[in-house]
Amino acid sequence: MGRIRTFAALGAATALLLGACTGDDDDASDTTEQAGGGTDTTAASGGEPAADDTLAAVQNAGVVRCGTRDDLPGFATLDASGEYVGFDSDFCRVIAAAVLGDADAVEMVALETDDRFTALQSGEIDVLVRNTTWTATRDGTEGATFLMPTFYDGQGMMVASDSGITDLDGLAGQVVCVAGGTTTEGNVATEFTRLGLAAPEVLSFESVDLLQQAFEEDRCDGWSSDRSQLTGLRSAFPAGPEALTILEEVFSKEPLAPAVRDGDAAWAQAVEWAIAVTILAEELGVDSTNVQEQLASTDPNVGRLLGVAVDGAVLDPGLGLAPDFALQVITQVGNYGEIYDRNITPLGLERGLNDLWTNGGLIYAPPYR
Amino acid sequence: MIATRTSRPPLWRDVRVLKWAFQLAVLVAAVALVYVLVINVNRNSERLNIPTDFGYLDNPSQFPIPDSDFRQTQPVRDAVGQGLINTVRVSVAGMVLATILGTLVGVARLSTNWLVRSAATAFVETIRNIPLLLIVIFSYGSLAITTFPRIDEAWEPGGVAILSNRGVYVPALEEAPPFLGVVAVALLAAWAVSRWRREVADRTGTPSHGGLLATATAAAVLIAGWFAVGAAFDVPVLEGRIASGGLRISPELFAIGFALVIYTASHIAEIVRGSIQAVASGQGEAAWALALSPIHRLRDVILPQAFRIAIPPLGNQYLNLTKNSTLGAVVSYYELAQVTSISVGNGAPAVPAYLLTLGIFLVLSLVISALVNVANRRAAVVTR
Amino acid sequence: MTPARIWLRRNLFRTRFDSAVTVAVGLLVAYTLFRLVRFVLVTGRWEVVRVNLKLLLVGRYPNVHLPRVAVALVVAAAVGGVVAGMVRRHQAAAGTAEHRSQGLGRRAAGLLGRFWPVLVGIGLLLGLSGTAGPWLTAVGFIGAAVAGRIAGEHLPARLDPLLILVALATPFGLVAYVADGAGWEDWGGVLLNVFLALASMVLCFPLGVLAALGRRSTLPIVRGLSTIYIELLRGMPLFVLLLMANVALGFFVPPDLSPGKVVRAIVVFTLFTGAYLAEIVRGGLQSLPPGQEEAAKALGMSPVSTTFLIVLPQALRNVIPAQVGQLISLFKDTTLAGAAMGLFDLLDVGQVITRQGDFAGQRLTPEAYAFVALLFWLGSYTMSRESQRIERKLGVGER
Repeated sequence: MGRIRTFAALGAATALLLGACTGDDDDASDTTEQAGGGTDTTAASGGEPAADDTLAAVQNAGVVRCGTRDDLPGFATLDASGEYVGFDSDFCRVIAAAVLGDADAVEMVALETDDRFTALQSGEIDVLVRNTTWTATRDGTEGATFLMPTFYDGQGMMVASDSGITDLDGLAGQVVCVAGGTTTEGNVATEFTRLGLAAPEVLSFESVDLLQQAFEEDRCDGWSSDRSQLTGLRSAFPAGPEALTILEEVFSKEPLAPAVRDGDAAWAQAVEWAIAVTILAEELGVDSTNVQEQLASTDPNVGRLLGVAVDGAVLDPGLGLAPDFALQVITQVGNYGEIYDRNITPLGLERGLNDLWTNGGLIYAPPYR
Repeated sequence: MIATRTSRPPLWRDVRVLKWAFQLAVLVAAVALVYVLVINVNRNSERLNIPTDFGYLDNPSQFPIPDSDFRQTQPVRDAVGQGLINTVRVSVAGMVLATILGTLVGVARLSTNWLVRSAATAFVETIRNIPLLLIVIFSYGSLAITTFPRIDEAWEPGGVAILSNRGVYVPALEEAPPFLGVVAVALLAAWAVSRWRREVADRTGTPSHGGLLATATAAAVLIAGWFAVGAAFDVPVLEGRIASGGLRISPELFAIGFALVIYTASHIAEIVRGSIQAVASGQGEAAWALALSPIHRLRDVILPQAFRIAIPPLGNQYLNLTKNSTLGAVVSYYELAQVTSISVGNGAPAVPAYLLTLGIFLVLSLVISALVNVANRRAAVVTR
Repeated sequence: MTPARIWLRRNLFRTRFDSAVTVAVGLLVAYTLFRLVRFVLVTGRWEVVRVNLKLLLVGRYPNVHLPRVAVALVVAAAVGGVVAGMVRRHQAAAGTAEHRSQGLGRRAAGLLGRFWPVLVGIGLLLGLSGTAGPWLTAVGFIGAAVAGRIAGEHLPARLDPLLILVALATPFGLVAYVADGAGWEDWGGVLLNVFLALASMVLCFPLGVLAALGRRSTLPIVRGLSTIYIELLRGMPLFVLLLMANVALGFFVPPDLSPGKVVRAIVVFTLFTGAYLAEIVRGGLQSLPPGQEEAAKALGMSPVSTTFLIVLPQALRNVIPAQVGQLISLFKDTTLAGAAMGLFDLLDVGQVITRQGDFAGQRLTPEAYAFVALLFWLGSYTMSRESQRIERKLGVGER
């Protein structure tokens, strides 16, 4: 009897609360109508961490807190000595080298997929470099601002090489396994509907360990995820990479880009240009092995990039970074091509879309002047 | 008694006033706490343009659910419903099987046979002391998907079932409702027959053979009804790598079900053992003196009394089992927690989605507690 | 007939049915034992556990600060020993101590019988580890426990309040000391599970006791609020609460507060265990004869004094077994934090090590899970046996 009374009271209280919440719906829709109003309300509410001052805060603290992960071969894993190794890990170091002059002044914070935006919103990390796709919804609702993509990816499907499946048709009505926490299930379902194929049975696991076990035991016919993730997993597959085939179909656009908090233009620009200079360096042919000689280059572009005084003047574009930040980045981490070759090329993924624009790819940075 | 005028103490010392002041303060603090939480949720949600109402329930869910008719174009509220059905399915089956297994093991723990007793004790002491999550993960990775062969080499015993590591398919009834009616009639007939035979036995003293005749009657009715209703079996078919039809037990369901059953059974075994030991020993001795065989002694004298004692803790275990079924999400069994987790990953707002799930579990707990209370009251000893 | 044959006849072969059952079960048990022993000693590939012992025990705690963990263990053993000695001294004074006059040999055997799981665990870990550090730690641990126990028994009684104070402050000090080497967000393995369990148990105590007292209060609002809290948290599944804490807790707090995952997990465990503890304490309060409270009132004690000096100590003492049972449950439930929130707890480590470069694809999950299960089993079994022992000593349920 006591419990029944309790829950009646509870139900009444919940109904009141819900009523209050739905009442706020009108307020929420008002806020969305003011397009630029989002930033204003955040600054005015005052409950935020000093969003405008992340650059200053980071330079004061002397360390960049970089949100990442520790289980994706090629992008971010832990090696035997506990160091973070990978494409995203290197870009974390790029940001640290640019902002603080020291590529090792970075604190890697391993995050779960569910957690990555919460950590960014709450100020637990300064920048999120965690193979995260730039989408409209995330720009809008996750309180995040995405910067220039470092890797153009897409969702793909991986099958066992001896399964005889050569395209998505072969998976109609079969079993597909995905890692939960993102929109992967939705993308698979949408793609199969678009192609008019019978919907597969989709299994969604929280832990990659169980997923891999299920895939190895032939519980699933296909494993769907971002192609970069699939490549990494394939390279570490126990039976060898040849045992797996990544199908040709790419059924979503997944530009992977670093993200910072909304409303922090100075920090966003600093991070963006830290990334841009790695691309510019590759465009100009400057890499970590020849950067010292390039300091004496006659190409004014190279001189400007490396912060060498050209005709007595050093370019300081007012980003809040040291004039030679590009030099630090290239010396301590390398240019885009080196970062790619170090981490992604061993997995067998060609540059493809991720090649320089001069080679037909999408990697293009604005000029440093 | 000297009658004195009771003088009112000053307000700040008057216990009645203090009591109400204290309660008012507690109430204000509680309301303020809830208010602050709600304000924070609303403010944070507005800041990130995330809705705080339940409108997301009408959005298409975008993920399919296996072993059901659920398509990804159906709204999220249907997904939640299907998740709830799966939760109830695994919980009810788990409760029944765990009770049976737990009772057997509990009785075995009191056996006179040292080997049986030790084996039962080892089972209980091992399973009870390891985490359920470990059992679930082990059941999936090392049992469910490895016991039966892969779909290419699936076993097809008798051509009517399919055993593979993608699921166990057994023949199911087509058009269940009419046949359920037949089953009901059969049970009624069996009950009537056993009543009649018992009366005959009481009157004339001849053996009643009630059980045998009742079973025979039920079987006769079932067979007659089968043909009368025209029921048929839905036999599973394996075409290439796709199996369809029949009743399917997926490896995910098996893993979470198996883990829940043996874990809860080990707790139930302890409860049953304790309640059997709590039944006065005089009962067992009296049954022995009446020359009842051990099985009859257990079944007719001791267990009924033991179960009366065991009902509240058993109810507690059933509640735990229902709440533990949420671990199905770890092995991708689409019960309520998994459905919620996937919806949130695919864009549903987190706070309302999880509050809804928690609310549904509260209601489930309430229902189970109420049922257990009813059973408790009905089994209670009527005292003068 | 020899005693052995009598025993066999009575326990295994009493009737024909009994004999048949013995044979059947015996075959099954023999087969299981054979497979088990073969797995442990012959076919099991325990390299994966041996190599990753550090990950399994403390996660990614920096190697350079590992001595802190060792020191913390030794200090905890010493303080625990002193407290045990103190308890023993009080028991001796009250005349309830067991085995007072037994020789050292028998007492040592008694201790062995009580703590053999812990000793087996330590022996196993030492056998698997390669370096000298664990040996020193183990020796220090056992030595400190024994020394503390002897010291506690012989210290003068007037130091008792000081000892209790020190014992209460020690856990906090040790946590701060170990966290100084690396914040608890970086802890993992057994260290993390034990920390989550103990921290939540300690923090949930005030909450649970207050809720239990509130539920029995005569003030309707207080009773209502306590009942709402208890029934709410007992009706919700812990796993879903942890999932929610992972993604949604950030919404409930202002943006500048950014609780780390471990803190969030502890908050959820504390709230959840507090509700269960409240029911346990309520049972304890109900088990107290009303005469106690009435006598206190007759002596003119205030309600607050009555509660904290008379009622609570007895009530809590009566339900120590149930509290230990709750701690065991909590210890096992800390694995859920690993699954729901991605914390690097022991079970998670067990899964991760099977996918490391050298071990991937060799189906080493049985070995890894067996080791994890063993560690949990050793802890839970020891605690459960101790609680049964306390139950016997208190004579609970024997009135």
